[in-house]
Amino acid sequence: MSIKGKACIAGIYEHPTRRADGISSAQLHAEVALGALKDAGLSLSDVDGFFCSADAPGFGGMTMAEYIGLNRLRHMDSTETGGSSYMLHVNHAAQAIAAGHCDVALVTLADRPLAAGGGTGLTGIDLRHMPDLPFLAPVPMAPLYAYAMAARRHMHEYGTTPEQLAWVKVAASHHAQHNPHALLRKVISVDDVLASPLVADPLRRMDCCVMTDGGGAVIVTRPEIARELGRPIVKVLGAGEAIKHTHGGRIDLTYTAGVQSGAAAFEEAGVKPADIRYASLYDSFTITVILQLEDLGFCAKGEGGRFVADGNLIAGVGQLPFNTDGGGLCSNHPGNKGGMTKILEAVRQCRGEAHPAVQVPDCELVLAHGTGGSLATYHVAGTLILGRE
Amino acid sequence: MTSQLLPPIDVQPEAAPFWAAANEGHLLLKHCPACKETTFYPRTHCPLCGAAQTDWLQASGQGAVYSFSVVRGARRPTAVAVVDLPEGPSMVTTVVDCDVHAMQIGDPVSLRFLQAEGDQQVPAFTTVAAEQARQYARRAQDASRHVPGLPALGEGFAWRGAAVVGAGTMGSGIATALLAAGLRVCLIDRDEAALQRATNAINQNLVSLAQRGKLPDGVRESLHDTLRTSMRMEDVAGANLVIEAVWEQLALKQEVLAQIDRHADADALLATNTSTLDINLLARGLQRPEALLGLHFFSPAHVMPLLELVRGERTRADLVAAGMDLGQRLGKTTVVVGVCDGFVGNRLFIARDQEANRLLYEGALPEQIDRVLTDFGLPMGSFDLADMAGGIELGYRYRQSRGEREPVGDRLFEAGRLGQKSGKGYYRYEVGKRRPLPDPEVVAIIEAVSKAMGIQRRRITDDEVRERVILPMINEGAKLVEEGIATRASDIDVVWQKGFGWPDWKGGPMYHADRLGLAHIRDRLLALQQRHGERFRPSALLVELAGSGQGFTA
Repeated sequence: MSIKGKACIAGIYEHPTRRADGISSAQLHAEVALGALKDAGLSLSDVDGFFCSADAPGFGGMTMAEYIGLNRLRHMDSTETGGSSYMLHVNHAAQAIAAGHCDVALVTLADRPLAAGGGTGLTGIDLRHMPDLPFLAPVPMAPLYAYAMAARRHMHEYGTTPEQLAWVKVAASHHAQHNPHALLRKVISVDDVLASPLVADPLRRMDCCVMTDGGGAVIVTRPEIARELGRPIVKVLGAGEAIKHTHGGRIDLTYTAGVQSGAAAFEEAGVKPADIRYASLYDSFTITVILQLEDLGFCAKGEGGRFVADGNLIAGVGQLPFNTDGGGLCSNHPGNKGGMTKILEAVRQCRGEAHPAVQVPDCELVLAHGTGGSLATYHVAGTLILGRE
Repeated sequence: MTSQLLPPIDVQPEAAPFWAAANEGHLLLKHCPACKETTFYPRTHCPLCGAAQTDWLQASGQGAVYSFSVVRGARRPTAVAVVDLPEGPSMVTTVVDCDVHAMQIGDPVSLRFLQAEGDQQVPAFTTVAAEQARQYARRAQDASRHVPGLPALGEGFAWRGAAVVGAGTMGSGIATALLAAGLRVCLIDRDEAALQRATNAINQNLVSLAQRGKLPDGVRESLHDTLRTSMRMEDVAGANLVIEAVWEQLALKQEVLAQIDRHADADALLATNTSTLDINLLARGLQRPEALLGLHFFSPAHVMPLLELVRGERTRADLVAAGMDLGQRLGKTTVVVGVCDGFVGNRLFIARDQEANRLLYEGALPEQIDRVLTDFGLPMGSFDLADMAGGIELGYRYRQSRGEREPVGDRLFEAGRLGQKSGKGYYRYEVGKRRPLPDPEVVAIIEAVSKAMGIQRRRITDDEVRERVILPMINEGAKLVEEGIATRASDIDVVWQKGFGWPDWKGGPMYHADRLGLAHIRDRLLALQQRHGERFRPSALLVELAGSGQGFTA
């Protein structure tokens, strides 16, 4: 059963905080929920489907339903795939709506790793007895090294350069200057990136996303309900999800599961990469963006470095504007999970509500893509293709 | 030093044989009898075809680097890596104890185990190049024990006892080493307070050795019997080993050695602990110049594993053999060297640091040079080492005695910047901390020196820094072989590994030279000579070996 056109994103909200001292994770969940409902013109009592992942404290959805005040739930899902969880949630919400399991679905992300003094790990992921962990020892679990190794291999096989990686960050910084909530608003140059210290060669500090607290929420509903709300209609046209793991020790760092999730989403939506006017791409690291551009078909495998160079991702300058809110590289990566904010900016672009300086004209077809997990072990890619009605 | 142990391994029942095999030095894979595929990491079933049972397969232990990323600031060289195994699967693992900064995709690697808490070995890898360098290092150390033309020690030879003259830091360290090796020691000094301080220091040294499990039982208990102190030079009598360890000053040492010469037993080996002075000159005034040799201990003498045994032009061969025996008893790697300024170790060290100073004048800063040296594999750089070891003051006094100048070091000394002990040197230090922090005041001093020398400072690449500090060491090593100061090139490598922390995975400066290729080194030295002057002129031996396609150590 296709979800094409059967569900809409009717409300979005991004918490303005980047450091959540003085507010609990549960309250953050409540605030993003209320924010998205208000944006949609709906209320708590309209929500009958709820989606969240392991950042939701306690039992997750069950605990949060009580805290937020969701009393009419008849469909719940707490799929956890790291940063791409929210692409999957929107996909699953659309499926549930299409199947008649719910009418108004709420998706929340909220976390406060900085305020809690945590690192780059994910809240709620229990590493005890994780069967592969002893075999990754003595490797630090930090995903940083996995992406660094992917970057090095990409350079080795395709001649990708540090300058090309840097262009991804430069483009994000050009966008972040217009976002008053962005953590890093300074426009930077390729040389600035290359002058930042190596953290895991070949990746430099500025090749890495920011670490922030905060969160966001999305309301997914049926088109009939969305049309009554008086907001621009953003339809879910296609979605795909795929996992890639080592398959008993077969490791190839040159591609991601985006190859499958992207193909599925494009097929369902009946469009092709060249039709996409704006793309939200997961930007945990600059290399992540380059891999995804290739895997989603925006350029040929190995061409990602050349594709992003010379400002090709900058709105008003390049061929494919990306992450016009500044993305995870410059604006927000709440809870070390970048998928939610990718969806939010894609919806803003599709509505025509992005900052005027970065709004893509006639932005009727957009894509939001997430990569959650670690490239060297396992990750899940989720792709959403959204279109304005 | 904190523990290098990995966190404990959570051994799941299905993987227990894997971990047991790791403790035996093996890497186990799983092989599926149904689909014939090999997988990593172990499960009972086959994750590829779903067969219920799989067989264990011992891996060859070889592999190749698929990709990697260097872990910065790791205590031992470490890169996170994906390693492809010839059996099929790849592993996410680490490559350790090798030149991670020179590593490349495709490099062959072999198993090397790391220790986790709970006595569990964990498979990791090292490069084959590093493993070969370690094998070379073992051969080089074996070779260094053989000194051509030495007679065997007589059947009845035994160390009757030792006298150490001079109760300073070196004297007490040397006495500690002798006592720990079971020798009786008489420590002699004119200054009673110095003797008391030395006795305390020896006690503390022995305690710290015992704490690290490096002291035989009974040594501390019998100290009242084995350690004597005296203020009379006559008490060198009775020992057949007398080590002079007074302040490094020619006239003083000559005077003390003359007294020793007067009172020591006829069969005694006379030794001077010097790092810079000419043994031949010291021997000249003695009635028995053939009994004198140099013992260059490295500080602290009871800890550092290297002993340079300096053979003077008249030193008797049987006493050289006795000196080798002594070094072995002390548990030290003992390398026989000839007389020259700096002997083997310091001569390379001086060549390196002189060039490091010149790089400062031309545009580099201490932190860049030190980073290049530590990335190269040395435990410390030129300048953080000087700050730690009091090198600014030692260097200043050394130059003063010889009428030499080194403007940066001199200005630092004059500004009271003596290194870590004064909280500032080439770097600044926060109170109670040892981490060197770049200091704008030092930059100002260096820039002033450049200006005074009329040098226009320029940006210097890491590659240039590395070449200009490492190639002079190699060239100096070649001269040592050429001049016969070193018996063989590999002895230089042994000295630099044991005395200066040259990493075993890089063999030594001469082994490293062979890896770079002598023709390449000759060409680079010639280019540097053209640009910077005669000090880079390649040695005759280097030119000869490069011309005939040979190496120093092959």
